[in-house]
Amino acid sequence: MKNDKKEKRIGLFVCHCGVNIAGVVDVEKVAQVMKDHPGVAFSTNYVYMCSDPGQQMIIDTIKEKKLDSIIVAACSPTLHEKTFQEAAKLAGLNPYQIEIANIREQDSWVHKDKERATRKAIKIIKSHVAKARLNESLEPIKVDIKKRALVIGGGISGIQAALDIADHGYQVLLVEKNPSIGGKMIQLSETFPTLDCSQCIMTPKMVEVSRHPNIKLLTYHEVESVSGFIGNFKVKIKKKPRYVFESLCNLCGECEKVCPQIAPDEFNMGLSFRKAIYMPFPQAIPGTYTLDAEHCLGLKPVRCGKCKDVCDKKAIDYDMKEEFFEEMVGSIVIATGYDLYSLQALGEYGSEKYDDVINGLEFERILSASGPTGGEVRRPSDGKVPKNVVFVQCCGSRDTEKHNPYCSKICCMYTAKHAMLYKHRVPDGHATVFYIDVRTGGKAFDEFYQRTVEEDKVLYVRGKVSKIYKEGDKLIVWGVDTLTGKKVEVEADMVVLAMAMVKAEGVDDLLKKLKVSTDIHGFLAEAHPKLRPVESLNAGFYLAGCAQGPKDIPEAVAQASAAAAKVGDLFAQKELTHSPEIVPVNTDLCSGCGICITMCPYDARSLDKERGVVQVNEVLCEGCGACAAACPSGAAQQRNQTDEQIFAMLTAMLGG
Amino acid sequence: MRVKLKAGAEESKFIERIEELSGENVYACYQCGRCSAGCPVAFEMDLLPNQIIRLVQMGLKDEVLNSKTLSICASCFTCQSRCPKGIDMARVMEAVRHVLDPKSRDIFGPSDVSPELAIELPQQVLVAVFRKFSK
Amino acid sequence: MRLHYYPGCTLKNKTTNFDLSTREAMKRLDIELVEPDGWTCCGAEYPLTEEKIVGLAAPIRVLRQVKDEGGDILVTSCSFCYAVLKRAHKAHRDDPIKRKRVNAFLHDDIKIDRWTKEKTTGFEDYDGEVRILHILEYLRDVVGREKIRSALKRDLRGLKVAPYYGCRLLRPRDEIGLDEPDNPHIFEEFLETIGCTPVDYPFKQECCGSYLSVSLPSAATEASYRVLRSAKLEGAEAIAVSCPLCFYNMDHRQELIKEKFLDFPGLPVLFFTQLLAWGLGVERSVLGLDQHAVSPASLFRESPGPEVIL
Repeated sequence: MKNDKKEKRIGLFVCHCGVNIAGVVDVEKVAQVMKDHPGVAFSTNYVYMCSDPGQQMIIDTIKEKKLDSIIVAACSPTLHEKTFQEAAKLAGLNPYQIEIANIREQDSWVHKDKERATRKAIKIIKSHVAKARLNESLEPIKVDIKKRALVIGGGISGIQAALDIADHGYQVLLVEKNPSIGGKMIQLSETFPTLDCSQCIMTPKMVEVSRHPNIKLLTYHEVESVSGFIGNFKVKIKKKPRYVFESLCNLCGECEKVCPQIAPDEFNMGLSFRKAIYMPFPQAIPGTYTLDAEHCLGLKPVRCGKCKDVCDKKAIDYDMKEEFFEEMVGSIVIATGYDLYSLQALGEYGSEKYDDVINGLEFERILSASGPTGGEVRRPSDGKVPKNVVFVQCCGSRDTEKHNPYCSKICCMYTAKHAMLYKHRVPDGHATVFYIDVRTGGKAFDEFYQRTVEEDKVLYVRGKVSKIYKEGDKLIVWGVDTLTGKKVEVEADMVVLAMAMVKAEGVDDLLKKLKVSTDIHGFLAEAHPKLRPVESLNAGFYLAGCAQGPKDIPEAVAQASAAAAKVGDLFAQKELTHSPEIVPVNTDLCSGCGICITMCPYDARSLDKERGVVQVNEVLCEGCGACAAACPSGAAQQRNQTDEQIFAMLTAMLGG
Repeated sequence: MRVKLKAGAEESKFIERIEELSGENVYACYQCGRCSAGCPVAFEMDLLPNQIIRLVQMGLKDEVLNSKTLSICASCFTCQSRCPKGIDMARVMEAVRHVLDPKSRDIFGPSDVSPELAIELPQQVLVAVFRKFSK
Repeated sequence: MRLHYYPGCTLKNKTTNFDLSTREAMKRLDIELVEPDGWTCCGAEYPLTEEKIVGLAAPIRVLRQVKDEGGDILVTSCSFCYAVLKRAHKAHRDDPIKRKRVNAFLHDDIKIDRWTKEKTTGFEDYDGEVRILHILEYLRDVVGREKIRSALKRDLRGLKVAPYYGCRLLRPRDEIGLDEPDNPHIFEEFLETIGCTPVDYPFKQECCGSYLSVSLPSAATEASYRVLRSAKLEGAEAIAVSCPLCFYNMDHRQELIKEKFLDFPGLPVLFFTQLLAWGLGVERSVLGLDQHAVSPASLFRESPGPEVIL
């Protein structure tokens, strides 16, 4: 579609980009040649167009020469298109009348022959002139924002993000799949480097979440599906049947006493048992019992019924079912946490075979006062107090061959903590840590590690353990001290393996439903590894905590607050703007064949059955152009990238 | 004893030759020591397997020259099966043997086996040990 | 049916009990083991450097012979030979340069016609057509558990046997690929199939010392001792091996081990095919029990009573 009959006055600004462009392309000649090109009302060149004077030049020239459109021949549009669009706006020009001709990445950076590179630059610019002539002035699409956030995951990151967003004044839905919030942090005994009791510092936050007027706490819920787009997500949530009314349960515990069924206690990492009707831990929030149908004798039909009989408050209801409901939110924070690499993977350590070869979380439960041993260090097999404990770092991490190539970041610190706490509880015991490096990058971290070595007299041996096997009562650990060049063997009573941090179990399914991208290890992919750590490339999704990669609690909290701040940024705007360079439907030409619908990766197009033509959701459309390429009738034409424009560009490039 | 770490042509040639012969990237080793920890005969060695590859990394050819370790490796591949970087230490060991023992002498040869013993031994072990250690 | 079989030089000379028990056992499973014509020693040690290509010639020659005789599977019971053959085959198949050079080297071999005794050249180049299987593999994958069980004639009465994998059956994983180096099952499954009780012990894949029994005997003595001791501690009545060198180190040298390590009372060492043959009903005299330094005779007693009831 032509803009209007009047010939546009196009201004051309050719950038030197220092020597990046000018070193290969004769920019002065280009500007000179283009002066006489039809449509070009003004042509100049300058050293750095993106600089303040450069931009000022653009603004002044637009006003002086009454330009309708400008072309900046410079670097890739991904870098400065926005810069020049903003400059043009200041001069009163519609930002979609700006064209960026890339003569750097596409020309000066890839060619050596100066003469040919200069000719190519001219061709490129000519093609943009052809396009610019037909560009329309466009207005950004405005989108409403639903100022309500969804936080998935009730660990420390999810809790922090929820609190911060709620403190801003916005409504938050906090969805947690387990019966209580708390995540992994609530399972810890003490945290490094302060040795704060983990539950003591976390439960106040958990209580705050439960009491906050802006937070709707949905535990034992899961996200079923998400549709929509930033500012306007429709989330389908599943409420799992707890079989207990939270509001009625008074935690008297009578049900638990009479329940005949036992199950491994997940909170204690399987080191002890719980009943089928249970509370995960004393400070659980919400404070209520939950009936685990899987381990119950049977609910359909009811085979036991003892718990219901003894419940004074009539809080138990066997007829509860799964419920689904929908909520609208404007942004989603994903804080789904992590899991530890499976012990089964390290056959050479006998971790599957031997009860006394355990992972870090199991040791945390042993150390914890609320754990299966009441805080006494006893080994799982026979309850004896281990006098010789070996700690092995880097189990399944830093391994490019069979396991995970990355470093899990927290193991060096928590191993030092474990060794230190063991020595505090068993002063006549001996602790050995086998390490390759000791990584203590945080505040007060190295000092903490030095205390472990100097004050608590833990022996650090530099060498990776090759094999662990059992002989009689002892676990024989084959290691090496690379510093003295000696192969060493330790007869241990118990071995604690610092297993790698991996993606949370089952998170793949959830992320597929959310259509959020991950990296090759299954951790959430951030938009830019250095400059955008809490946003996903998928607009509207924010990342917090170990779901994005291994990190410790201070970092997780910082990231959660950062994600909350980004949500705040979003909600602070009156409305969202979406790029108008989308692909509308020309209903005169559209035959309703539907090919474009199948091409669209954003589900932006659908069939209007009444009218027999395709319609497009302008906010979902990202302007990729796949539909435009596929459309047989030409009804799908991308704004400012029409077929007519593209052919005009080709003609210009080929010398026409 | 002062060891000069020269990054000279001789050192590079040595390292390159080892990599060429073994097909392994010696720089990938981050000295975790797992090879030495699992080696069944390390207790007899003067230099541990991880120390051998360390000296290669540093180009210190002379340091490995007289090590007994080279003739103690049993080629059992435990090192290779446990290395987190996938380095085949057995191949590196063999490459070092080749570079440092240029066909001039036997580490262990026919003259080291008495005729009485030779009759008693299974053939495979004679073939194996001479293949490894004799010129 | 006929199956190509590579005994290896040691089986033909020193450990004929291994060879004979293998052949007799397979006969009971209706398999006749046929040696490729004019086979030679495989070389025992697989050449570990990229340049030693000559070392590949001998094993490839054997495989070429098998191919020439129309075979597509070659089995062996000696794990040393298995490792060399399999690794040489893989290197030959996957590296076109090595393949070209080895084939060129072997090109001048003269073929003698079996019947007319005429000399002709012209072996076809070997391009990796033969599959090399260890007898344990063959039994598991081709013969199958059920067939073996139904062919059993003797009740081994849950004899507690420690399976000894050693190095060659498992490592390197990507070239041998028989089972997981740190968690293997194939040998245990075999023992269960024939009616023994496999004993789990942590040293089943540790090296016995290998050729160090010649060049540095003290190392091999200690290495073998550790394996035997571990098996004994876990209650084994015998240890089953699949390599004549392991057998030599642990059986022939057991007296030396006992002299040096007084806490070790002794443990009979068997070839796994002897157990298989015995279970399948082969006569005692064929098993070659007199070739053992540590007599296992007591383990092979005819049991009074009915034949095995499955």
